[in-house]
Amino acid sequence: MTTLGVIGGGTMGGGIVQVAAQQGLSVILWDVKQQFLDGSLNRIRGFLQRGVERGRMTQEELETIMGRITTTTDYEPLSAADAVIEAVLEEAVLKQEIFQNLDRVCRPGAILATNTSSLSVTQIAAATNRRQDVVGMHFFNPVPLMALVEIVQGADTSAETMDRAVQLAHELGKTPVRTADTPGFIVNRVVRPFYNEALRIMNDGVASYPEIDRIMKGLGFRMGPFELMDLIGNDVNFAVTSTIFNQYFGEPKFRPAYQQQRQVQAGALGQKTKRGWYPYE
Amino acid sequence: MSETGAALRSVAVIADSSLGRELAVVLAAGGTDVRVFGLEGHGGSVGNARDVAGLADAVGGAELILDAATWPRERKRDMIVQLDDLVSQAPIASVALTVSTTEIASWSRTPERICGFGYLPPLADAKIIEIAPGLRTGDAAKQATERLIAALDRESAVVSDGAGLVAPRVVSLIINEAAYALMEGVASAEDIDAGVRLGANYPHGPLEWADAIGIDLVYAIIKAMQDEFGEDRYRPAPLLRKMVLAGWTGRAAGRGFYSY
Repeated sequence: MTTLGVIGGGTMGGGIVQVAAQQGLSVILWDVKQQFLDGSLNRIRGFLQRGVERGRMTQEELETIMGRITTTTDYEPLSAADAVIEAVLEEAVLKQEIFQNLDRVCRPGAILATNTSSLSVTQIAAATNRRQDVVGMHFFNPVPLMALVEIVQGADTSAETMDRAVQLAHELGKTPVRTADTPGFIVNRVVRPFYNEALRIMNDGVASYPEIDRIMKGLGFRMGPFELMDLIGNDVNFAVTSTIFNQYFGEPKFRPAYQQQRQVQAGALGQKTKRGWYPYE
Repeated sequence: MSETGAALRSVAVIADSSLGRELAVVLAAGGTDVRVFGLEGHGGSVGNARDVAGLADAVGGAELILDAATWPRERKRDMIVQLDDLVSQAPIASVALTVSTTEIASWSRTPERICGFGYLPPLADAKIIEIAPGLRTGDAAKQATERLIAALDRESAVVSDGAGLVAPRVVSLIINEAAYALMEGVASAEDIDAGVRLGANYPHGPLEWADAIGIDLVYAIIKAMQDEFGEDRYRPAPLLRKMVLAGWTGRAAGRGFYSY
């Protein structure tokens, strides 16, 4: 039975904790403050409770799942973990500090994984004295519903660590794909033209954005690019594009669109601000 | 069937690929008299679409000429030039994926009767067909193209003229980026496709999609955008070009990013 440590109980970390506990793993959740840990447990319980109300699980099963989760604000309990997945804010200094602490307390051979979507796994691994054990495990939001995990091989990640991370993803009920440590990995890179070229087509006056959305949905996409930017948040989407553009040192095909920056500057972020490319009530 | 009630009686289809073939088959199934002039060599009548040996036999008396030639551009140009001498009146609906409608019309003495259109094959997956009138496209040609799309039982969207239109432009660049990622050794073809299907909920992985569309057509669309827009963001992945040269153009060829 695998014991999994999770660093950070936010949206992504909480999702990983929930999925792990539902799959039968023992989970140790770490965060800086007890109130964050309590909030995370409440959100997981709330999610599962809706499952009980819909008849997908019994109250007893819910309590069994919640019973697999322990919480801590100290690093030392993570010495019991076979693997740790870090899911904190996308700040390199913060992540490096966490990995130094994991390096200090975790047992030899434990997998040390980062859920980063936009930083280099190699850079995070360099903060440790066990770079061969550090790997990227990039989950997708919302974690309980999205099957994919990108397993990211840093410059020094060993083949054995890659295989074990793939195995861990299977244990979590996910579908892993293997990728090199390149900007945007697979998905965030390959999908850039869906947003960037749609913005360009609008700017070139080829078609209006509602018409672009209609045309793309006509081809089988569930949402048009502008609808999806509004769902993701124009601020988040613009930041991801900007990061990938910068990490490729100004590669023109990733150049962000100023029209989207104007949306961000105007506070028209999308559904979360009730206004983006479209109005939301 | 045309919503205006004026169904197309007879259409001449000039086909150089499966794109022209599938248009001919669907039109013929809907009751239109379809004569096909095949440029791709293999010919053979499909359904009620009759193959004819010469361009003149195909277009004589046709109510509308459907120029489904995709590429190379020189062959498409020769066809348009010949049509000027063979038929002077019938409107020409021309596939404008790899060259703009305005450029196609520039090859003709009668540019007003040419209207571009396009979609990403296979037709079965395309609910919407884009119509792109060129600068000199006349109303009659545009209306005839709208009737054609209605006869194909598809919705239409009128967009501004330019290589790649809307959906083919976006999807070709997604495929191009996936081809670069594969070429650079970022991940395997299977993992790139699974990643995009599961991580972004796209209807197909980009590389399997390219195999279904035809890698030659995808490459031609990207190359046309590079020529027309002149920007580095449209440079085709060298791997795509090599696959076209090798004849590994996808599902129809038996080999593309995957083997069939």
